[in-house]
Amino acid sequence: MHATSPSIPAIRGVRLAGVVLLAAASGSAAAYTVTLSPQAPQTIYLQVGVGAFTNDYINGGQPEDNATVNTVSITMPAAALGNGTAQAMTTNSTAANSYWDGFLFCSVPAQLYIGGFYRTTGAATAAAQVTATVPAALTDATGDSLPFSNIQWTSSGNLDTGAEPFPAGSFVNGGVQTVGSMASNTWNESCWSFSYLNKSVPPVGAYSGVVLYTMTAP
Amino acid sequence: MSFAGGSRRPFFLAAALTIFWASAAQGKSITIDDSGSESLEPSVAMRWKTAAPSRATADNVMVGTLTVRVRINVTPWLRRSGRIYLVLPAQPPGRISLSWATQGRLQPGQLQSGNRVLVYAGPITAPFMEDILTFQFTVAGTLMQRAVPVTYHFEMDEV
Repeated sequence: MHATSPSIPAIRGVRLAGVVLLAAASGSAAAYTVTLSPQAPQTIYLQVGVGAFTNDYINGGQPEDNATVNTVSITMPAAALGNGTAQAMTTNSTAANSYWDGFLFCSVPAQLYIGGFYRTTGAATAAAQVTATVPAALTDATGDSLPFSNIQWTSSGNLDTGAEPFPAGSFVNGGVQTVGSMASNTWNESCWSFSYLNKSVPPVGAYSGVVLYTMTAP
Repeated sequence: MSFAGGSRRPFFLAAALTIFWASAAQGKSITIDDSGSESLEPSVAMRWKTAAPSRATADNVMVGTLTVRVRINVTPWLRRSGRIYLVLPAQPPGRISLSWATQGRLQPGQLQSGNRVLVYAGPITAPFMEDILTFQFTVAGTLMQRAVPVTYHFEMDEV
């Protein structure tokens, strides 16, 4: 036994040293792993008329809730009733400046601001849709009615060129209609100028109706 | 034919020498054990860089910060000189930008995934190097549909 065994520990010793050296060179090194977690990744903001931001977006502003319901109206001059000449309507909205940069974008009271955005993570998705839920007619206190299709709007914005995100249109007589869309992660805004088509002579009265605008993100 | 063949041989030889010297000059990079490092937050909360997007073009940058108490084991290089790099490998979810501030032991910097940046050069005088790094990760929101792991490491170029 002793005649042959002394060489074996020596060989083992060499191999062991080699292993230790390799371990020292590589250490127990491993990459440090952190987890990137998207927080509140989807955000939508729609403003029709007045809205609320803590500041202009380019100055770090954050969107806020605003429950104001604005009015677009016209008092028809008796002499013009039913003559077929569209009559411009005005709004009580004071929203003339874009919350993006404070730029004077709309002209009040002639125009109603509509704008917003939606934020979403992940690959490109379908655009968010903005719809209007429209009653069948405007009505007065005595039950007379005017079809909502008597109201139309044009769309523009100061210094705007090209297509508007919220284009011109006219109301349907009851139902839900799409009035614009927003691609993901873009700011969209337009100024609407409403007019009453004035094609008939309805009974005297104060006609009103409420249109609800809804933004739906995919 | 024979003339053309003769002119090619020196070219291949020169190319081989160039590769050999480039490899020798690059030296050896060894990943440093940073198992002593710890994050002060459990994860990086990625938020939109701006609350709202821009007007005309898609604006989808997300940013998040993380503070890490970095402790790297440089014992194997003690009493030698070395160059330490922060390495952010190319990895999912895609292009990642990383910047960091330090308390002074390591150098601040920034890099894109797939690259490395020097954070220390000089003598190694202690078994461990420690610093507090505040990282800022920047990733396109289009890549951030869900939480994703991201790895970085430090590596040593022996001088």
